[in-house]
Amino acid sequence: MGKYVLKRIGYMLVVLVVLSFLLFLIYNLVPNNRAYTDAKADMAAQKTRLRNASDEEKDKMFDEMYLEYQRQYGTDTNNMAVRYLRWVGLMPNYYGKYSGLLQGDFGYSYELKDDVVNVVKEPMKNTIFINIFATILALGITIPLGIVCAVHKGSKGDQAMQVITIIGYSLPTFVTAILFVWIFCSLLGIFPPSGMKTPGSNYTGWKWFVDRMYYMALPLITMTFCSLGSMTRYVRASMIDALSLDCIRTARAKGVTEKAVIYSHAWRNALIPIVTLVVGWFLGIFGGSLIFETTFGINGMGKLMISSLRTQDFDVVILMQLFYVAISLIGNLIIDIVYGLVDPRVRVSA
Amino acid sequence: MKKKNFFGRLSGWVRRVFFGGSRDLADSIDVEEVVSPIGQIVRNFLERRLAVGAMIVVILMFLLVFFGPLFMPNYYDSYTEVTQKNVAPTMSMMKVPSGLKNDIKMIDSYGSFSVGLSNSGDVYVWGATQLGTTGIDISDIPEAVENDTICYVAAGIDHIIAISESGKVYGWGSNKHGQYITTDKEVLEQLEEAEESVSEEDQAILEEAGATTEDAESVEGEESADEEVSESSDETDVAASTAASAGENIIPMPDELVNGTIDVANIKKLVCGYQCTAILMNDGKLYIWGNANAYQNISSFVDKDDLTDIDFTLNYIVGITDAGTSIYTGKRGLYDQYRSNINEAGKSSKKFLGKRKIVSIYATNNHLCGMLSDGSLFFAGNFPSDSVAMPALHDGETIVQIEAGTYHYTALTSEGRVLSWGGSTLKQTDVPTKVDGKTAKVFAGAFQSYAVDSNGSLVGKWGLKGYLFGTDGYGADIFQRIIQGGKMTMTIGAVAVIISTIIGIVVGCLSGYFGGTVDIVLMRIAEVFAAIPFLPFALILSAVMAQMDISENKKIFILMCILGVLTWTGLARMVRGQVLVARENEYVTAAKAMGVKEGRIAFRHILPNIVSIIFVTLTLDFATCMLTESSLSYLGFGVTYPRPTWGNMLSGSNNSTIIKNYWWQWVFTSIFLAVTCICINIVGDTLRDVMDPKSDRDK
Repeated sequence: MGKYVLKRIGYMLVVLVVLSFLLFLIYNLVPNNRAYTDAKADMAAQKTRLRNASDEEKDKMFDEMYLEYQRQYGTDTNNMAVRYLRWVGLMPNYYGKYSGLLQGDFGYSYELKDDVVNVVKEPMKNTIFINIFATILALGITIPLGIVCAVHKGSKGDQAMQVITIIGYSLPTFVTAILFVWIFCSLLGIFPPSGMKTPGSNYTGWKWFVDRMYYMALPLITMTFCSLGSMTRYVRASMIDALSLDCIRTARAKGVTEKAVIYSHAWRNALIPIVTLVVGWFLGIFGGSLIFETTFGINGMGKLMISSLRTQDFDVVILMQLFYVAISLIGNLIIDIVYGLVDPRVRVSA
Repeated sequence: MKKKNFFGRLSGWVRRVFFGGSRDLADSIDVEEVVSPIGQIVRNFLERRLAVGAMIVVILMFLLVFFGPLFMPNYYDSYTEVTQKNVAPTMSMMKVPSGLKNDIKMIDSYGSFSVGLSNSGDVYVWGATQLGTTGIDISDIPEAVENDTICYVAAGIDHIIAISESGKVYGWGSNKHGQYITTDKEVLEQLEEAEESVSEEDQAILEEAGATTEDAESVEGEESADEEVSESSDETDVAASTAASAGENIIPMPDELVNGTIDVANIKKLVCGYQCTAILMNDGKLYIWGNANAYQNISSFVDKDDLTDIDFTLNYIVGITDAGTSIYTGKRGLYDQYRSNINEAGKSSKKFLGKRKIVSIYATNNHLCGMLSDGSLFFAGNFPSDSVAMPALHDGETIVQIEAGTYHYTALTSEGRVLSWGGSTLKQTDVPTKVDGKTAKVFAGAFQSYAVDSNGSLVGKWGLKGYLFGTDGYGADIFQRIIQGGKMTMTIGAVAVIISTIIGIVVGCLSGYFGGTVDIVLMRIAEVFAAIPFLPFALILSAVMAQMDISENKKIFILMCILGVLTWTGLARMVRGQVLVARENEYVTAAKAMGVKEGRIAFRHILPNIVSIIFVTLTLDFATCMLTESSLSYLGFGVTYPRPTWGNMLSGSNNSTIIKNYWWQWVFTSIFLAVTCICINIVGDTLRDVMDPKSDRDK
């Protein structure tokens, strides 16, 4: 098992490096140059002092400044590999200083005038909170529902569920979001349409939590609803497969109670595909929450990412993108490990 | 065996007598019919009613989307129309109420609704009468107006002004921009009620604003992406602070009209503009009031007392002074190039007029038409490319009456012919032939024209009927945009799916068939692609693309490629698995033994055997790609305005005010998108079920 996990981790690191290099290349496609902007800003700041300087002198000074900034940021070369290594922090810049991701230097947000780490902190907390909550809710509903549908396969209720779930997973998430805002905010007026807390309020403790939940309720309901369709179908399908196994027939034949057949024999067998799905889906909603966060005005990673993309704040974007990649890789690793735990055959073959 | 009727039995005997009975024998032994796999699939598929229905819907949707545009020759992407913004779905814009039909005195309209006046002095309102977010229904005619005998009416964009025989001036509709001042209790009550219903939204908007102040940039971005948002909040801001804004940019209604009466016999013309109204008296006195922001030159008209005619274009007020030698606008250089017809070159006003004088003018939104003292017409202003030139008159024929709509003119000639020319985008110039000779009077307003005979009954009407699905915040017909947007969405989905399928099949076949190093390398690559979080990555790619200087079409093509390249891994893995199984089959061994080349085996022998599973994936992926494109466009990173797609048509609805008040702007688009995706998914799902020989029917 240990060897297997190590192998997977090693593989994951390779993919991470490849992807981050790819990202870095894309990021460099953008005609957006930090050193140039900084040099320009410096020149503007020294305008009064340079009042009497000739154009040539100005140009010379600008070039010097530009070069200096380029050296500082490690962009004084056109070799992408070198620039990448400097960005990661594996190679020193012109001054022999290591300042990259590994040293904890994640860049600077020009829009929000702060280090990227500080910018990302709060939204990340919010996003993770919402996603974990939504996952728990969705699992709590879909797993029992899927099992019931599988056990009563072909019944009226099951057929109805089939149609409902296909609608559920075909509906674009933003349409569902709009629909729910309309129903819950415009028609019923139960929930606020967007936002994170009552404007102007400064609650603490329990009151803060209640207020937060009041505002988070609609996004959570929508997110849960959006994931019901595919999850229920998946659980149902794998449960049906499991129920048609020979061992189930044997178990029934030897008189095991139906409850035990379903929940201990079949469920264990159905678990493997479900585990894949749950983890994969959990990762998926990090991407999917982009839409919820924009629609409901939640100060989360998705919203930050979109606003950064709009304002071309690419230091923030690339860090978040890396986070998404890392999350998805870690997720795959977890899937592999859980596979190993749940299904002994995987361990052997690896 | 089926029971046959008498004739069937008879023919069976005859056949057996002359041709032998082998076929019937075979039937009666009940030999199982041999059906080809495809036939079996089709048969199973047809047994499922839901899937067949879904299939029909998908096909209809395809036909609508790809052939629909052929029937919309006037459509173009960046179409905007200020006076038709946010119009609710209605087809009643030309539906003259039955009470008015045979008793028409006058009809006027400016925006989405029309107002009519009967000879007996009753007022009728029809069209899209719900006024945007204000909560006012303009068809609620105040009781005082109903009880009085009215002799003049005129409609602006969101208000109506009526003058009674006794000289009382009534106004109703919106008055947020000083369209009228009223002392009528009922109207005031209605306004108050409307304000109350709006105030809840105000609250919501304020909350939203409060919540988003942390992120001012993104709000700004949203607003620039979508004019509606800023506008609606603008409007409600005004509502919240009516008192503060009053007087600032408003020319108030003259006091003598609010509290006193007007000399009705002396009225020459009552005309309404965007949010303004003008009453011109025979002695040249002019009453003018309304929103000064809408008309820059309104101040030049306030104390004017030598006018003989006045009208409103979209941004300027135009008038004629007693001298009649030029069009008075209070500004230099406006409307001073005259032409004798729309398609002819302009001449400077002095040269053109010579000794002739201007008698009257009729203004559309961006051009105007004037009648000269010798009975001929001239035109001035900017004519959009869709303008139809004025038809030639017969010798000795003169124009008797002329009316102007938003872009078109309708005129009656001395021979009784009715002519329409000017803007033709919304069928304003399609005059029915039956009106010629019978018409005694014509009315035109907005995009409609009406012909009335000498008894005051309606002979014919032509122009814009309404919008089936309403209009969006730019005034474009949502139905047309849905069709055009569907074309774009489906094309993107289809091309993306084709790209991903090709990559998936090639990679899957290669790695499954050859195995070994090829397999390992290809599968590792696939895993890297699979590890990419889809939506964020697509976002960053399209954002990067937006920075680069490439044409819109190229961007859309690259978008398709991005979608295709990011989705092939699932199919590749599936194909690989299938190929691994198929590779061990006897026919592959046979092909190998016969010396068929390896590539040929992989693509010609194995591929056809796994085509069914590819087909299923293709169907389901198509829906996914459509959804992804829509999500991207919804977030503003896919296809951008003015090009419509189902996704970006919904991006304006990211706002509770619009969701509630302009429901038609999201309901129909959502329905189209959702129904298409649901049906495609049902078809794909059913295909998977019926193609899988192991799956039992009732699963």
